[in-house]
This record gives sequence, C-alpha cells and structure tokens, in this order.
Amino acid sequence: MSALSALGVWSWFILGLVLLGVEVAMPGFFMLWLGAAAIATGLITLAFGLSWQAEFIVFAVVAVVALVVWLRLAKRSTEAPADNPFLNRRAASYVGREFVLEEAIVRGSGRVRIDDSIWRLSGPDLPAGAKVRITRADGGLLHVEAAAG
Amino acid sequence: MLSGFDLFVLIFVLLIILTLFAGVKTVPQGYEWTVVRFNKYTRTLMPGLNLIVPFIDRIGSKVNMMEQVMDVPSQEVITKDNATVTVDGVAFYQVFDAARSSYEVTNLTHAILNLTTTNIRTVMGSMDLDQLLSHRDEINERLLRVVDAAAANWGVKVNRIEIKDIVPPADLVHAMARQMKAEREKRALVLEAEGHRQSEILRAEGAKQSQILEAEGRREAAFRDAEARERLAEAEAVATKMVSDAVAQGDLNALNYFIADKYVKALESIASAPNQRVLVLPVEATAILGSLAGVSELFKSAEAAKEARKPTRPTGPATSGGSSGGPMVGPIG
Repeated sequence: MSALSALGVWSWFILGLVLLGVEVAMPGFFMLWLGAAAIATGLITLAFGLSWQAEFIVFAVVAVVALVVWLRLAKRSTEAPADNPFLNRRAASYVGREFVLEEAIVRGSGRVRIDDSIWRLSGPDLPAGAKVRITRADGGLLHVEAAAG
Repeated sequence: MLSGFDLFVLIFVLLIILTLFAGVKTVPQGYEWTVVRFNKYTRTLMPGLNLIVPFIDRIGSKVNMMEQVMDVPSQEVITKDNATVTVDGVAFYQVFDAARSSYEVTNLTHAILNLTTTNIRTVMGSMDLDQLLSHRDEINERLLRVVDAAAANWGVKVNRIEIKDIVPPADLVHAMARQMKAEREKRALVLEAEGHRQSEILRAEGAKQSQILEAEGRREAAFRDAEARERLAEAEAVATKMVSDAVAQGDLNALNYFIADKYVKALESIASAPNQRVLVLPVEATAILGSLAGVSELFKSAEAAKEARKPTRPTGPATSGGSSGGPMVGPIG
C-alpha cells in the first residue's frame, strides 16, 4: 500500500496503461475496459480527490459503464456488412441463385448438385430439367420455387 | 488494518471484474458457442462480441462451424462377387446448426464415422469388384446421399465422401494383371491374323487382276494378229492377182527374170553366210535354171561366175576357200 500511496493518483494511470498494454499483447476485449476505467478513475480522482475506497467503487462502476457503452458501439459495428457475410454459412450464400434440376422434386423433396456437393431441396413438385430459384436456406435444406424460363 | 468497509470494497470490485469476465464473450470467427441457462440450452452466440447474463448463463459447447475433414480408416469389405477388398476414404462435413450438433447426438464425429463406415459396406457389398473399381463416382454419390440425409438431423451437412483406396488382395491383383495381359495378347494375335488375311486377299486380288489383264492383252493381240493375217492374205491375194494379171497381159519371160533374180540372190546369201564351208545347192536348181529359157543369158553369165568359184556338186566338199561375195550379177540392160 505504501508504494501505491507514494505514487498517489498516478497509480490509476499506471494501472490503466499496463492493462491496455496487456490487452494489446493478449487480445480478449476485456482488459481494454478495465484499463479505460482505471484511467477514467484517475481523471476523476484528479478532479475531485476521493478516498481510495471511493476510488475503487468508482473504478468498478466506470468499468461497467464503459462496457455498456462499448457494447452499443460494437453492436453497431458488427451489424455493418462484413467483407464476406456468408462465412461458415454456405447454404445462405445460395439464396437467390438459380439451378437446373437433375432429378424431379417428388412430394416436396428432391436433390440438386451445387458446387460438386448434393443439397436437399424442399419445394413444389417439378420435373427434372426445370429451373428453380433458391428462396431460403434452412440449415442444410434449401427451399426453392420454380424460376421463370 | 483493513476495516469491514475496506474489505467489502475490495471484494466488490473483484466481483465486478469477475462478473465482467463472465458476461462478456468474444466468439472467434469459424465457431459458434451455445449458451445454457441453468443447464438448459437457450441460444447460440455468433462470432464477435457477445454478452451473456452472468451467474445464470454459461457456455455449453464451442462448436467448430468450419468444414472439417475426417479420415475413414481402412476396413475390409466383401463385394457382391465375394472378393474381400480393403477400402479407406475421407469425408468432408460442416456443422450448420451448432445447437443440434451439440445436443441431438452424443458424439458427432463418432456418429458420422460409423454411419459412413457402415454405408461404405452397404454400397460396396451391392456391387461386384469390377464395378467397384470403375464406378467410384457412383459409390461416392450414393454414400453422400445416404450419409447426408442421416446427418441432417444432427445439424450437419456432409459435403463430400470420397473413397481413397480400393485394394484388392494381392493374388487377385495378380490375376487381374494376367487377365489384362492375356487380353492384350489376344488382341495382338487377332490383329496379326487379320493383317495376314488382308494381305493374302490383296495379293490374290493383284494376281487375279494381272492375269485378267494378261488374258485381255492376249485376246487383243490375237485379234490384231488375225486382222494382220487377214490383211496380209488380202494383200497377197491382190498381189497375186496383180502378178497373174501382169503375166496374163505381159511376157512370161519377165516372170522368169524375177524368179531367176530371186534365186540368184538366195544363192548369194547362202554362199556369203559367215563360216560357210559347205554350199548346198538344190539338185533341181540347175534344172529350174535351165528351164528358164527367158533368162538363159543371164543364167549363163551367173553360171560362169559360179563355175569360177564353186563346185557344182552339192555333196562335194568345199575345196576352195571362196569366201568372196556371191555371183556378181550385172544389171540387165
């Protein structure tokens, strides 16, 4: 405690910088807020001059607030379209594409060959050779409708 | 040293930090994490930053959503025609529903592996060895259909199943090689015989053609010969007619002159033949010559010339080496 009290208010800034450094070294999106909260606490302490218990409480509260604010921002950023929105969602990437049936859809289910793999279809009964458009992907099942032409 | 309030503050801050730890989850791309609330599945966390409610929510399982490759270890399969072959393969699958893959099936990879293994047996057991070796595409497709349909209930899309190696037993391979060799040899022999046959036919064709041509040539030649003889006969007839006409109109002496002329020329050629040691003179020659009164003058002069060089006896040996020219017949004035 003596070292901390010797450093005084700067110990918060030091802690904040160290936490930010740790975040850079080991990205986990976690030390970031704690570091930010530590620096904010340091600023508040500089401004108001609090007891160390109050500083701790302020630190905890600021950490939570920082997290909430960050999540708001992050949500907006994750909702922005990525370079490749269909990563790990292959079936979804086929929506809107048209294919020619190699075998008929019988009683609502059939198969189609896409990109050298076979996908199960669900849709209206159609003869082989008909063109279909994929309307919706449901896991590994593709829903189709008859395409014009 | 520390008052109760101090301790409370410390612990409170620590708890806040732990709670933050528990509540913030960043899921890496390529994975999806299931969340269980009181050990019951509630939702799936997508890649990126996620919040869960601390204390009541926990991460259930971390599912790999990337396409995965699974080796199907080699196994013995008995084909329709009772050949035992060793087969191994590889399967590519991708989880599309993290929750179902976690909670619909106990051990996903084990399940897919067993499904694939048994279906390899089923599909290959319904084919015979030759089909097996030549219809891999068909095998792959049949396997894929069956396994994919079954795995769909587990939230898994099987993208491909490939048979890697089909190894028949060594003695069978040997037999196949022998069969192949025999097949090739047979083909070679047949080809050879075929070639022989073709060449023989061609040769016979050629011979036939040449004989036909030859016969045609002969026929043509015979025709022409006949024609020539006809023409000759015609000409001779005409000539004879002319001669007889001439004789009828003219003097017989003229005819005699011609005959004598020819006779003398013949004698000359006999006499002047190379290496001629014996002169054959027809016996009746003199008689004929003598009978030709019309050319007696001529004959006499020729006789005189001959008397000088040759014996009159036809059987007499040639004594004089008279190899000089025949009788010099002067021109008739």
